[in-house]
Amino acid sequence: MTWVAHIAATVMIYLIMTAPIAQADDGSPTITVGTQEVGMTAGYMFSHRLTELHTTKQHGPAVMPSWMITLTDPIGDSWYRGQISLGAEMVYLEFREPIVTHGIGFTPRIKYTFVALGRLRPYAEFTGGPFWTDLGGRIREQANEFNFILSGGVGVSWFITPQLAFNAGYRFHHISNAGTAFPNLGLNASLPFGGFSFYF
Amino acid sequence: MTRHATRWSIVSFVGILLCMNTGCTRSIELKPASPYSQSTDTRLLASDERVPLVMDSFHLLRNGAPQNPSTETERRILNRVQETRLFSTLIPLGAQSDSLGDKIVSARITIDETIEPHSWLSAFKGIILGGSMFLLSPFVDFEYDYAAKVGLELERWDGQVKRYEGVSSGTVQYKLFGATPVMIDELKGHVTEACLTELTTQLVRDTTLYMASSAPTSASGVRTVTVRAKRPSTTFPTRSTAPTTTPSLP
Repeated sequence: MTWVAHIAATVMIYLIMTAPIAQADDGSPTITVGTQEVGMTAGYMFSHRLTELHTTKQHGPAVMPSWMITLTDPIGDSWYRGQISLGAEMVYLEFREPIVTHGIGFTPRIKYTFVALGRLRPYAEFTGGPFWTDLGGRIREQANEFNFILSGGVGVSWFITPQLAFNAGYRFHHISNAGTAFPNLGLNASLPFGGFSFYF
Repeated sequence: MTRHATRWSIVSFVGILLCMNTGCTRSIELKPASPYSQSTDTRLLASDERVPLVMDSFHLLRNGAPQNPSTETERRILNRVQETRLFSTLIPLGAQSDSLGDKIVSARITIDETIEPHSWLSAFKGIILGGSMFLLSPFVDFEYDYAAKVGLELERWDGQVKRYEGVSSGTVQYKLFGATPVMIDELKGHVTEACLTELTTQLVRDTTLYMASSAPTSASGVRTVTVRAKRPSTTFPTRSTAPTTTPSLP
């Protein structure tokens, strides 16, 4: 496992070291209608118990591979100038508390990326879709295994080349079953994340 | 039970295949319909009848805003003009154009592009598609419009100016999974080609206008006058009242 970490660290250092050369040569990325993005994001989930009825302190790692396609050319002429992308995301969550369980979901994802700052591109995103977890039925908040997951968040992409960007951000997660079974208190969590995207 | 499962598997497979096939389509529609429908009737001029064409200016407007034109676009236009074989040589912007003789044709090019990506409508359709878990993808079309007007103004050596214009527009219609940046380039390429075809067709009709024998060289507006000052007879200094240049005395 150590050698994997070493290789990952070496690759990261190489990319950072070569980034200024790539910037000088290529400048800002040119993302137009039809540009596709494939990304991998990982983070760690921390629970929020919003009412006294919430007792579960679920937390654990999250992995979210995604695909997106750019729908628009940049809209607007001011600081809010940006582009809209639509795509899909797989979300995998491992709940380490109260018992080790898993969850997997498939969610459409829509993202608005601000392009006014060149290679530094903040964005806001929203995802929502079906989610299955074997944590459901074992806790007092959720009665069944089939649920829905909704998340909204903000992040920032730093393009080290016109095709490759590192991402970091924050998401708020909500898991519930849309009233298909009771109880349905919902599970809420914060998810700081990091990852990368490749554009083509 | 097995037959039932097999039947539904086949139906599902065909359904998915059909959806994927229709969900990845795209098409380009041009106005006029075909850029290659008009044939360019080129006449071969004798080499001594051909004069050089010198690029004088090149302006590009995109949705009304001035842009920096690319050398690729300039080269593409010059290549199409070159194909008419009307001119002996084509001198691009910034190139040395000395020693070309008196008879040259100056060219001024303007390109006025209009891009309509239908961004807000695309965003709305995207929300609908996301909400439907992409199930509506095969049934929702996206559109991207592009129109161009290429103007070529030629000024003959005697000062006669003639303007040519090629206009075309096109729309690319695509499904979500058929979108690619290449389709925009393809659309722009087809529209520009249609404009240039129209433009060169007009240009070739005026072949005789650009033959070297079609007009004499105009009398030059710059005249050289040599003024020789008389040697002053007195030793008093003289003061000139007009800024004149006198050649140095031998």
